[in-house]
Amino acid sequence: MFGKTFKVAVIAAGIAASVIGVARAADQDMPADVIAAAKKEGKVAFYTSFFGAKAHLDIIKSFEAKYGISVELLDVRASDMTERIRTEQTSKRYIADVTQNGAASLVRQQRQGYIQNHGGIPNAKNLLKDHQASDFGVPTYILGYGILINTSAVKGADVPKSWQDIKDPKWKGKIISDDPRALGGGNVMFSAFQDKLGDAYNTALSQQALVLSRDVGNDERRVARGEYPMRIPQLFSNWLALKSLPVKFIAPEEGLPYIRFDFGILTGAPHPNAARLFINHYLSEQVQTAYAVAGLIPTVDGILDKAGEAGAELKGIKLLGTTDVDRQDSMLDRAKQLYP
Amino acid sequence: MSEQTAGRLTARGLEGPQLTDRLRSLLRGRNLAVLALLLLLGFLTVYPMSMLLYGSLHSTPPGAAGVFNLDGYRAIMTTHNLVVLLNTIGISFAKTVPSLAVAIFLAWIIARTDTPYRAVLEVMITLPFFVPPILTAMAWGMLGNVQVGLINQTWKAITGSETSPINVFSYGGVIWHMSQYTTTFLFLFLVDAFRAMDPALEEASRMCGASRWTTFRRITLFLLLPVLTSGVMLSFIRGIESFESPLFFGTPAGIKVISTEIYDSISQRAVPNYQSATALSFVIMGLMLLLVVWQWTVLRGRSFQTVTGKGFNPGVVKLGAWRWATFTFCLLFFFVTTVLPVGQLVAGSFFKFFGFYGWDNLTLEHYRAVLGDSEFWRATKNTMGLGLVGATATMVLGSIVAYISVRTTWRGRRLIDAIAWLPWMMPGIVLAIGFLWGFAMLPAAIPIYGTVWALFFAYLALGTPVSVRVMSGAYAQLSYDLEECSRVHGANFWQTLTRILVALAWPAFAVGWVLTFFGIMRELSASIMLYTTGSEVLSVVLLKRWANGLAEEVSVIGLMMMALVIVFRWVQLVIIKRRISTL
Repeated sequence: MFGKTFKVAVIAAGIAASVIGVARAADQDMPADVIAAAKKEGKVAFYTSFFGAKAHLDIIKSFEAKYGISVELLDVRASDMTERIRTEQTSKRYIADVTQNGAASLVRQQRQGYIQNHGGIPNAKNLLKDHQASDFGVPTYILGYGILINTSAVKGADVPKSWQDIKDPKWKGKIISDDPRALGGGNVMFSAFQDKLGDAYNTALSQQALVLSRDVGNDERRVARGEYPMRIPQLFSNWLALKSLPVKFIAPEEGLPYIRFDFGILTGAPHPNAARLFINHYLSEQVQTAYAVAGLIPTVDGILDKAGEAGAELKGIKLLGTTDVDRQDSMLDRAKQLYP
Repeated sequence: MSEQTAGRLTARGLEGPQLTDRLRSLLRGRNLAVLALLLLLGFLTVYPMSMLLYGSLHSTPPGAAGVFNLDGYRAIMTTHNLVVLLNTIGISFAKTVPSLAVAIFLAWIIARTDTPYRAVLEVMITLPFFVPPILTAMAWGMLGNVQVGLINQTWKAITGSETSPINVFSYGGVIWHMSQYTTTFLFLFLVDAFRAMDPALEEASRMCGASRWTTFRRITLFLLLPVLTSGVMLSFIRGIESFESPLFFGTPAGIKVISTEIYDSISQRAVPNYQSATALSFVIMGLMLLLVVWQWTVLRGRSFQTVTGKGFNPGVVKLGAWRWATFTFCLLFFFVTTVLPVGQLVAGSFFKFFGFYGWDNLTLEHYRAVLGDSEFWRATKNTMGLGLVGATATMVLGSIVAYISVRTTWRGRRLIDAIAWLPWMMPGIVLAIGFLWGFAMLPAAIPIYGTVWALFFAYLALGTPVSVRVMSGAYAQLSYDLEECSRVHGANFWQTLTRILVALAWPAFAVGWVLTFFGIMRELSASIMLYTTGSEVLSVVLLKRWANGLAEEVSVIGLMMMALVIVFRWVQLVIIKRRISTL
């Protein structure tokens, strides 16, 4: 009944649709009774491990303006937040309503009983198909890591296009790296390499005499000043602020190691409805676009076109891999073996 | 009535009247005071420590199901940890000894010579102590890196050499960075002790034929022993627990110390290993307690009184033309330890990017960003409030503890002194966990956790070792006849304490207050664990900026803190000068 040409056309359309993406559904608010209950609760206590990120402040203001619900923000380092939540939960001092943390950490907390079922978030229907919500965790944004190069020291054919290029002996002792033996971008990169490029790759990279550092705040500028020609892994969102310096962000062809940040509602949350409303707001087009403009990869479909220069740069970027919740400590141990 | 209960013992024990007398004796003022102090210090130090001890002996932290075992202690008994511990002790020793020598020399110059502009020099010399380590680490990273560091570039330009003599990312860099704080810390301990020294003792030594050097060694330094040993111990212990210097300058060079190992156990594991971290901390604490015992042994049975009922003028050594050499030495110290790194920060704050100094990069945007940030102002208000109240409370508590420990023979004084030491000997990051657990596990009716009180009590605990040591050193120099004279004339305990002892020890009290105030301002480990929405403090705001790569805004905040230091130190010195002139 259907000719060969028609079948080919259908297949082609399907492929095109999957590449382009199905048209994004409009934002949907929470049910009216939830909104009413949230307003009655009056506030939401928000714990996030995206420490010191200014992007939160405008987003929080937009939520407060829209719903009249105040937000109490507490941002601390991931390890500190993990222990705070554990301590508050075990001592039954329920202060926090919603937490935003690395996806692996959230899974761990859910297994420990610290995260409750969120009961459904309407805007979750717009999440990218590779980053769907579970009953407990709702993806909100992704941090992608690439390579930062000094454009005076790394030029022409020397500019790496692949993660394999940094194994070239000419870069030995010249790459400054976030410490893979510590939680954070360095170990995420290590884990992604281990899974996708193999232990042989990490072993070879460890022979490059990487200069390991934990001076996150300063290392990018050290590359810009010419102390080192290259830095790995480089957070894309930080790179946006460095554009006027002689540096460039490279997204290797294999993809970017990444950390995904998810939301969860804490067990015993004193303001659960406000928490759900808050999460739903973070999946709105407005907030996801704000994230993208700040260089954070949105988890919601159809946003990058609206995010200006940052969105244009993020488009087409592949993601390589991230940490596995059950293998984080073994990855740290392996990193310590390769980088004693 | 005698403290001894008079009464007959019967086969059933003390009879009614004797029991009442015994109870009355126990509830006597001084015993109550000791008990109250023990309870307060117990809450501040023993309680969080007991949480940590639990953590070291239990497979899970407080509140979680687990089992008691010694796995934590077994896990730390490795050759690797032993090597790291020896490395740490070596680094601490290497930075304490030269720092002590320089501090003694500087304190002698400022307090006991006619070097010109001593008041100004004193403020300048102490500035490095008050600059947050993150800031100086950033600055020295730029000054001393092999590739493009300013010092190396200047050396190459002058000498034509192609080799960089300085590499701050090395053992030398770690020790250098640590010693800047240690030198000024020790200086602050020593300078007022030098001032409060009756020169009659030194004059007597000279008259007996001793040379200046012999007099300095056997009289002056000996009389400073309480202050010297306290300062050395505090700074040595701090060196063991130092974190920022080895993290920034040691990690790239593969240098490992105990503090970074502990930090890794807690913060760099998917599942934090509190058992190992706390076990290691207690082992370190045990070793540090040996130092405290050493100090008791050294000081026991000796008198170090230099302030008596007779008035005196602190002797000033006339150096002649050499006074300009000492002046130059102080200036050089100031230049190297303050001007160089702070100059980098000043420059960094006015240019778009740290280290890029073109005219077209000049900007005030970082100042606008900081000054326009409500979180910064909230943090400043919180820090000032906590600093003023916390430092005052800490010094009052320290004065009382030091008095009981040094000036009385009351039962329990050694215990009080030992308890007051404890927080200094526990790595800050671990003690912060202890506070978190301790405050959170209190009954819900005690609302400390989640409030600004958590920070207050943590600061009080953390500052007490310094306040007690500062006041102990000062009290040790005061003759007992001053107190006896006061009591004979009808003054009670509090009047004697405040109007005689604290008044005479006022310079030390003021120094201790400033040390404590700025210790609170710089304190990070407990602050990051205990702060809540609305109770942010400056150290946390600083860390947030640094973690997000905003080195320039970090510089702005650091410079504002330095301006505050200068003002405080100036005021403090003016007050001391007025007080000393009345001695």
